[in-house]
Amino acid sequence: MSSREWEKVLWKKHPYPDNYIPHTFLSSLRKNTNFKPYTYWPLVLAACSITQHLSTVFIFLATFIRIYDGSWDPRYLVWSSVAIFLLGYVIWEVLEYKTLGYLVKHADRAKTFKSSILVFLALMALSPVLRTLTAATSSDSIWALAACLFILNVLLADYGSLRPYGHTRDRLTSVLSMNAAISSSVVLASRLRDDLSVFALILFSVQLFALYPLVRTRLQVTDAFTYASITIFLPALSIYLHSSPTNIITLILGIVLVFITFVAPALLLWAQSYKNEIRGPWDVAVPQINTADH
Amino acid sequence: MDPLRIAMICDFFHPNVGGVENHIYMLSAELIRRGHKVVVITHSHPPDRVGVRWILPGLKVYYIPFPTIASSATLPNFFTFLPYLRSILLRERITLVHGHASLSSLAHEGILHAHHMGVRTVFTDHSLFGFDDAASILTNKLLEGALCNVDGVICVSHTGRENTVLRAGYRFESKSAEVSSKRKFDPTIWHVIPNALVTEKFKPTLDRVADNTVTVVVLSRLAYRKGIDLLVATAPRICELFPNVRFVIGGDGPKLIDLLQMREKYLLQDQIILRGPVRHSDVRSVLAEGSIFLNTSLTESFGIAILEAACAGLYVVSTRVGGVPEVLPADMISFAHPEEDDVIRAMSEAIKIVSEGRHDPLSAHERVKSFYNWRDVAERTEHVYAGVMNSVPMTLYERIQRNLELGPYFGLIFVVILVVDCFFFQILEWTMPREDIDYVEFDWEQEKFEKVAREETMQAQEESSQRDSRDSDGGVRGF
Repeated sequence: MSSREWEKVLWKKHPYPDNYIPHTFLSSLRKNTNFKPYTYWPLVLAACSITQHLSTVFIFLATFIRIYDGSWDPRYLVWSSVAIFLLGYVIWEVLEYKTLGYLVKHADRAKTFKSSILVFLALMALSPVLRTLTAATSSDSIWALAACLFILNVLLADYGSLRPYGHTRDRLTSVLSMNAAISSSVVLASRLRDDLSVFALILFSVQLFALYPLVRTRLQVTDAFTYASITIFLPALSIYLHSSPTNIITLILGIVLVFITFVAPALLLWAQSYKNEIRGPWDVAVPQINTADH
Repeated sequence: MDPLRIAMICDFFHPNVGGVENHIYMLSAELIRRGHKVVVITHSHPPDRVGVRWILPGLKVYYIPFPTIASSATLPNFFTFLPYLRSILLRERITLVHGHASLSSLAHEGILHAHHMGVRTVFTDHSLFGFDDAASILTNKLLEGALCNVDGVICVSHTGRENTVLRAGYRFESKSAEVSSKRKFDPTIWHVIPNALVTEKFKPTLDRVADNTVTVVVLSRLAYRKGIDLLVATAPRICELFPNVRFVIGGDGPKLIDLLQMREKYLLQDQIILRGPVRHSDVRSVLAEGSIFLNTSLTESFGIAILEAACAGLYVVSTRVGGVPEVLPADMISFAHPEEDDVIRAMSEAIKIVSEGRHDPLSAHERVKSFYNWRDVAERTEHVYAGVMNSVPMTLYERIQRNLELGPYFGLIFVVILVVDCFFFQILEWTMPREDIDYVEFDWEQEKFEKVAREETMQAQEESSQRDSRDSDGGVRGF
């Protein structure tokens, strides 16, 4: 064999056999180049949005059960919904001020109130229709349907946080998720006895499933402390509300919430040690195009 | 070496056209020329391309009636090919199976079944795959299963070999191959043999009109993977920088609309000419128009188009991806990173070299001619065959062990497939006994064919001359 150095070229005739494996073999192999090791507490904080979402679903279910068996007066629910809405709106405006740096314009504020009053009145007008919507369907089907829709809602919900200064458009899945939750509350509300209960429940569901996620995504980026304390409050409330009917549900709910908040991030951390991402010259390159002048 | 009886197995073959198809055909033709016997087994193309066909120069093609799923690939089903394959291998007395292309499930199946009949196996991989998308993960798993049964592997470039070794599931603790991998890695079966081209078909034109126009040729499928986005971004800037540059773009694909929009937006109708789809036989005539060939591909395992262009005397500008850097010496090609600004830098460099006359098309052609030819490829492939034929075949127990090493779940699945395959083969031996098979007694003999053909033409000429004389006599016309 000649002393000529082996080269990684095909056009040159070299004295090495075709199955010669040079010492540089796989030298361009890169492992885990984009590897970012996670740390535990930020993961827990990120998992909080899942915990919160699950808690809101269970708070809603507990409320439904209480209205359904008549232990709560729907009028109180209407008033508390209104109060939650006003409180939520104040928080939202504070958060907007914090992220964007300027106050919401007076005209925008008026517009928000006008549309919320419209939704309020529309729901009130629609509640007799919604009450009799599924009169011909048996309750068992409704429970199953509502469960399916809530599972869909939990699976598809957008748990990400809002990018600072980036108003990202809603993805299709998060829109689907919200629709699933509202449909589920509509079918559940149609089991109730009087129009006021139907109205109260749907109003409450709009607060929880349509408006609260908006506040949550903003909260997640601005204030970790408030966010964490809300994450303690919501699951605690959901467990408290469920503690009276049956104990087994409380237990399952508690275990699920603890698992998602504390155990699942640890599992992800552990699984990351098995990460083995291979990169090399054979990967499809990503073309870099200057977008500024197009 | 002793003449072999080789079966090339691939989903991709004539009447489809492409790099793999052409490779199989050229390699088979060259092997026949060297005295071997070659048959090709592929799937049928109903309604007319079915059954057994002969292709010049004496290449027999079996078209198996399998339906295709997408892009002319058949569904990987592991067993249905065995009855066909057994009959063909036995009746043709095949001694070696050569599978091509990692997306061809026929090739994988051929490698899985061949050992029943004591036939040795070689596999050629033509493409590069990533590791991070669902399609790659699935096809890589299938390849892993096929390659643990194979006796020899050929890749078309060094980068391709590294990629295939990794895709076959070998993981190395350190970056060097000498350090042991988790599974037993036998380096002697992994070969690199490049593609080649018929240099006579790509001769540079000499009668070019001497003006200062520099024509840039782009010939590719207009798809994302071919980097057409880069072309769309850079072409108007190059046209602006060099008003004497003209683009000739050939090819068709989903990105054609982007190119048309770009041309419309920058009003470059007289500087950018779109040729639409170009047939392989017309490639040379398109290449002949230009002096620079631009390839913006984002992934490429060998880049035969680059070679064809270089052979036709064009200076090549290409993105530095995959196996492209191995194909040509540095003074015949300019490399760019797949970035807009860098492509423009490389193009400016190339335009300067070409317009100063520093690139000689004729010497480029001669050099490519000395680098690549099919005879060389066939000779090197023969060496691989010889090595495989001289090696000790794996026993069934060894095969089962190697399959088990693939992994706790996947390995078990493959062992089950292997064992079921053995039973299936025994059932076939019983229901279709070997003595009932219609063995091929006569092979194609080129000399005999030429003799018969000569006689036939002479006879025909005689007849026609007789007829002509009768016609001139005013005799009876028409048959």
